Amino acid sequence: MGILRRNLTAYGFLCAALFCFAVFAWYPMVREFILSFQKTDLINPPEWVGLENFKGAVQDPAFGEAWLNTVEFTLLALLCGYAVPFVVALVLNELRHARAYLRFVVYLPVMLPPIVAVLLFRWFYDPGPGLFNQILDLVNLPPLAWLDSSSTALISLVIVSTWMNMGSATLIYLAALQNIPSELYEAAELDGAGVFKRIRHVTIPQTRLILLLMLMLQIVATMQVFIEPYMLTGGGPENATVSVAYLMYQFAFSQMNYGQAGALGMMLMIVLLAFAAFQLRTTREDAA
Amino acid sequence: MQRSTGLLLATVIGLVATGCGSGEPATPSAGGAKAVTITVACQPARTAPKERQAWDDDVATFMKAHPGVTVKSTDQQPCFDPKTFGPKLAGGQMETVFVVPVTNYNDVIGQGQALDITQYTSSIKNWNDLRADARELVTKDGKVYGVPNVLYGVGLVYNRALFTQAGLDPNNPPKTWAEVREAAKKIAGLGSDYVGYGEYSGGNTGGWHFTQAIYGRGGEVLSADNKTAAFNSPEGKAVLQTLHDMRWVDNSMGNKLLIGWESLMVAMGGGKVGMMLGAPDVVTDVVTKFKGKTADYGITALPEAKASLSGGEAYMINPKATPDEVKAGMEWIDFRFNTVGKGRFDFARGKAIGNPVGVPDNAVYGDSPTGKAIQADRVKNASLPVENYQSYVDSAASIAPKAEPMHAQEIYAVLDVPMSAVLSRKDANIDDLLKDAETKVNNLLAAKG
Amino acid sequence: MISGARGQLKDERRERGDGGVRRAPADRRRSGGRRRSPRPIHVQFRTIISPHQLNSRWGRRLYWLALVTVIVVFTLAFVLPLYWMITGAMKTPEEVAEMPPTLFPAQPTLDPFFEAWDLFDIGTLLVNTVYYALGGWLFCMVVDVTAAYALSKLRPMFGNVILGAMLATLMIPPMVILIPLYVTIVDLGLLNNPWGLWFPAAANGFNIFLLKRFFDSIPRELIEAAQIDGAGPVRVLWSVVLPVSRPILGVVSIFTIVTAFKDFVLPLLVMTESDKMTISVGLSQTAGAVTQNQVMGGLVITSIPMIIVFFIFQRHIMAGLTAGSIKG
Repeated sequence: MGILRRNLTAYGFLCAALFCFAVFAWYPMVREFILSFQKTDLINPPEWVGLENFKGAVQDPAFGEAWLNTVEFTLLALLCGYAVPFVVALVLNELRHARAYLRFVVYLPVMLPPIVAVLLFRWFYDPGPGLFNQILDLVNLPPLAWLDSSSTALISLVIVSTWMNMGSATLIYLAALQNIPSELYEAAELDGAGVFKRIRHVTIPQTRLILLLMLMLQIVATMQVFIEPYMLTGGGPENATVSVAYLMYQFAFSQMNYGQAGALGMMLMIVLLAFAAFQLRTTREDAA
Repeated sequence: MQRSTGLLLATVIGLVATGCGSGEPATPSAGGAKAVTITVACQPARTAPKERQAWDDDVATFMKAHPGVTVKSTDQQPCFDPKTFGPKLAGGQMETVFVVPVTNYNDVIGQGQALDITQYTSSIKNWNDLRADARELVTKDGKVYGVPNVLYGVGLVYNRALFTQAGLDPNNPPKTWAEVREAAKKIAGLGSDYVGYGEYSGGNTGGWHFTQAIYGRGGEVLSADNKTAAFNSPEGKAVLQTLHDMRWVDNSMGNKLLIGWESLMVAMGGGKVGMMLGAPDVVTDVVTKFKGKTADYGITALPEAKASLSGGEAYMINPKATPDEVKAGMEWIDFRFNTVGKGRFDFARGKAIGNPVGVPDNAVYGDSPTGKAIQADRVKNASLPVENYQSYVDSAASIAPKAEPMHAQEIYAVLDVPMSAVLSRKDANIDDLLKDAETKVNNLLAAKG
Repeated sequence: MISGARGQLKDERRERGDGGVRRAPADRRRSGGRRRSPRPIHVQFRTIISPHQLNSRWGRRLYWLALVTVIVVFTLAFVLPLYWMITGAMKTPEEVAEMPPTLFPAQPTLDPFFEAWDLFDIGTLLVNTVYYALGGWLFCMVVDVTAAYALSKLRPMFGNVILGAMLATLMIPPMVILIPLYVTIVDLGLLNNPWGLWFPAAANGFNIFLLKRFFDSIPRELIEAAQIDGAGPVRVLWSVVLPVSRPILGVVSIFTIVTAFKDFVLPLLVMTESDKMTISVGLSQTAGAVTQNQVMGGLVITSIPMIIVFFIFQRHIMAGLTAGSIKG
């Protein structure tokens, strides 16, 4: 096969994918950039407005709160969604029975569409007959306001989010733990290391790369939190659950200001890319 | 000019769609050039089967009377959903005939998203009987952009059955806020899941009801020149203080924050909420969409009312509609919504399917001849004692209607914060909350220029 | 680097052996002398706790205690909510609002399921969702398999640049480009058109990455043999590459379908007509207007297809989950 012919065939095979990527992945990135400098309602021709959209986004009454909430949500979600699955995976890895069952149930919520988890927990959070307050009542604890108080709303969203997402992280950690050679533990034991020392000096270093990778994936995933505030709190009470993604949606589809939404999206993209670049570098140094 | 842009865009999109080979073939104009298909919004949902049947019957009747016209209904609920309204408009997915609430008139008309129908208004036979102020709202620079469909002022909707149960007189509903508090306390005393007075706190509905309440007390949301916030006032404080005290001192507002329009409607329909702010359409909706018992709901004047936020909606036409589609669409609007004794004004049918006929839920025709004919027909077929609503009707004549503030949605979003605060925090500091919201709205207005 | 799906399958095999208590000569020897512990805890490969510690008297007690605790906690955390959902859908609206709640429905009824079916119009929503998911899967497979094949076996000019650009999209979270993507879909007139979901779904860098890496591992000789027989690139793909790639095709397929079924934000924006909505969007639109037991009925019906898929393809899903992320 000649070089030309081989290339033609290859690009023939590639053309569908190139079209999809060009129009629906690469172009939107460029479009976001253009959009953020334009005023457009999609009906009339767009106008160039310079930095107007960025100004508008920053001056929005909920802008500061949205970023704070997103960071807070991410940190809380890391606490719950990052540490908990690792501990759970550690424990599961030690167990010799009921493993199939435990893995099955922990992953079950991941299979459900997020809307199921969200609507289910909306009922559990009901301050009256909701399951959670009824359980608290059962053990003689005072009821909580859950979604209905600015102090507990955000953590309530984190709980839903953790419940429906932790399964995949747990199983990934579990697989990583199983790849640790047992000789390392035996050696550590001979050196007289106790259980916690073995975790610190064998388990964590051995799973370091996957831990770092998951850290990045989780932060990027939780920074985009949308469906939870969208369905459960409408950003309230007192803006306690407005996330950046939710605010972006509001800009675009409640205020019909696509340019301003694009500008906010740009900001989120820059933050996440900067973070990813930083993380990648750390990981690479680590791997070397 | 805007129209031609729209048409151009429609053509381009059409070409692109065909080019991709993914576009479905356009509906062929079978035989005569008269064949036209229109889509119309607001078919009642499956949750209201009788209403839906009535609508479908009307569609069939209309299509029989207008050969060549095909009417397709969409039943998205709520019929106007702020979440999908924008995307649909922007994406050219809006029905030929769609509904727009008063709040969004300015945006929709201003952005060229509704067709100038000045030359088609003659299709609405009773056009001149529509209230002048309602028509004014859909007119911009002398051009008409919509057919006013509903107009009403806010009152106090209450559950008559709960009043009786709590030892209150349903024929003598509260006239002052002090009386509202007393009544709410008694109703809440019926049991742990009873709510004396229901109120919204999120999803922009909190700010909306704050506006209703502050208008009622004679306050303002914005200054007369629309340049600064004006709700940090004694009236604004009174609104929040009353709610705070009912929630935390009297414990008569339940313990659940209500977010989004349906939340309070469901609670009201469930028959365990005593009172709420609302227009007469609340009564109709609670009964037809949320399973409330017809005879239970009454409406009275807004307590101590000095002014009343006017609410309502208009039908508008898609700017991309062809002249034939516009004509058919306008005829549909005329038939279904503006003919005495037909469509939604077919009170005999309404009574037969168990609707709460007799509720004065629409003042769009005022006391014009058409308005009087409608009212006479309504009273004749009333399924409810119309005197239950008399106090509301009487007050409606004397309380000045007041339009929504500029940038209503953005301002409502800001006002959600103090509303949710007083309803979720016992230690909420009302002065701080109002001051904070005032600053935010002032900044917002300054940014909007 | 990241190990392949085959590496994972090895794990699975290894683990399958340790499920129950089996004949294990080494362990029997170790605990043979103890009378009070007839059933030693079998250890196939060691972890943090050494088998010796585990089978000491306290070790064993602690082990059983931990096991029971974990089982109870997991059941409460992950099964109870689902139990509550199912029984909630079998109660009357009054019973649902009862305080304290009933553990079992007083008079179990299936009516809420039928009511939910009608009110949410679940029949239509399910058909839509399945149609979008399967159609998207088919399109996605055709696009991504051909692309990965071209990049792996035909090696065109700038192939690595293209692959890099495709992988770069993985760095951009979907939510961030939601608005411009939506605007693009609007411009192309693809609202309320399944292609508005299928095109973006096919632009999946991760699928291409997984497939390409697997194709890379197919021995050259296999393909060259076919080429000597006169097979063109299409024939090679169809009758040589695809048959040996079944494991990875299965993994990619399941994940594509499950992702499409679960997707919320894009369908929310793209499929706005009530008779074209996906089940997630349809539920979110109507859930506010119906009773709690009907909502639960709707949720149960929505969950069933995914739970069935999970039961059938559990092994593939768990293998696939780790396929892309394990660093060997």
